[in-house]
Amino acid sequence: MYEFQLIQSTGFRNHGPEGARDGVEVRLRLPNYRGMRLSLLDGIDVTLDGEFFSHEVTSLILGGAVYDLAAMRDATTVRWAMGEHASVLVPKPGGLLPGIHHVKVAALVRSPYFPPHLQPLAVNGERLATIVLP
Amino acid sequence: MEDRFKYGVSLYSFTEDFGSVMSIEEGFDHIADTGATGIEILGETHVTGYPTPDKAWLDRWFGLLDRTGLEPTNMCSWVDTKLRLGQSLSADEGVAELTRDLTLAHQLGFKFLRPKFGVISADLDPDPIWAPAVERVLDLAHKLDIVICPEIHSPTPINHPVVHGYIDFIEHTGTKNFALLIDTGIFQDRPLKSWVHEVPEGDSDHAKLINGMKVNPEELVGIAPYIAFIQAKFHHIDDNLHDENIPWEKVIPVLKRIGYTGYLSSEYEGVREPWVAIDQVRRQHVLLRRLEAACGAVHA
Repeated sequence: MYEFQLIQSTGFRNHGPEGARDGVEVRLRLPNYRGMRLSLLDGIDVTLDGEFFSHEVTSLILGGAVYDLAAMRDATTVRWAMGEHASVLVPKPGGLLPGIHHVKVAALVRSPYFPPHLQPLAVNGERLATIVLP
Repeated sequence: MEDRFKYGVSLYSFTEDFGSVMSIEEGFDHIADTGATGIEILGETHVTGYPTPDKAWLDRWFGLLDRTGLEPTNMCSWVDTKLRLGQSLSADEGVAELTRDLTLAHQLGFKFLRPKFGVISADLDPDPIWAPAVERVLDLAHKLDIVICPEIHSPTPINHPVVHGYIDFIEHTGTKNFALLIDTGIFQDRPLKSWVHEVPEGDSDHAKLINGMKVNPEELVGIAPYIAFIQAKFHHIDDNLHDENIPWEKVIPVLKRIGYTGYLSSEYEGVREPWVAIDQVRRQHVLLRRLEAACGAVHA
């Protein structure tokens, strides 16, 4: 089961070898009420303690594979299923210090049945979340 | 009894609960306890392993139908015409999407399939592949005994070229496997008080969606032969059992008058919080059943 909020508590962690962290993982629930093919997701913006990372530089870890924006747009046969977690990988050398951080995400979702000018629409989440390990 | 409505609930009503505080088992139980006989689902949301669930999930599904006595009514699906940036799906690809969902719907025991096609305009004209794609799966739908239902949904009213197009298609093909699904949100005649929708403020459709389309329920009379299914969309029923947005006291008598005996499938779409929908759906069922009974009393 998911935590209710878009940004999950568990899975918020530093990425890369300990002592040489190269990023931060922000775990999300599916940012949609229906499972969707990954090509309908046009990337995810992340803001960590006020520092903005565009959807053009973040990537997504889903089912063990890593998708940058170009790979996401090509992923017409990969599904992000309801119930499945995925993590946004934010390129932040050194990672974050253990403690409480302010996290904001905007997942850019295309819903083909919405009017063309509303594609994509941002699905937003914002909260305080805790990094446990350095 | 045959001239009564059938009552159902869409699991979509529990969107804010499902997957975080509600499992599919609990969803079935909440629906069955309303006295409903039918369950509606979204394939991509509620079928684990969509579009090819494994045997364990299928056993679970049929076990739940057995235990609760619910029958599958409508499965909602999507034809994601804008799956790729810059290149829409071809009619062939649309056929593949519809075939995938007809097959799954049949496997799970559904009698109706609502495919939502991508649109090409701010007026929500469906991608023109809808007609050739649907035409090419009509034989399959007939073989599987499924009625494909495009959804008439706000901001598209009843009297609109999109609806006329669907009716022309039914007349031109003579099919019994394509008919209209009415979402009762089109009858909304008072503004939503607390609603955070996907459409941003300032958008041209925003006022329409907040204030309601105010379609006159009498317009159902003109399309009566084409209606196959009704999603009983609502947003809030207050503590006095009064719907704040949908004029059921006008809608239900018209449905009785045109002889509708299909499903009213609850579709709660109110505040985006968990633990609200379960009781809202129960309230709606009391309200709808009372109004139907009152119509019966008048006719008798």
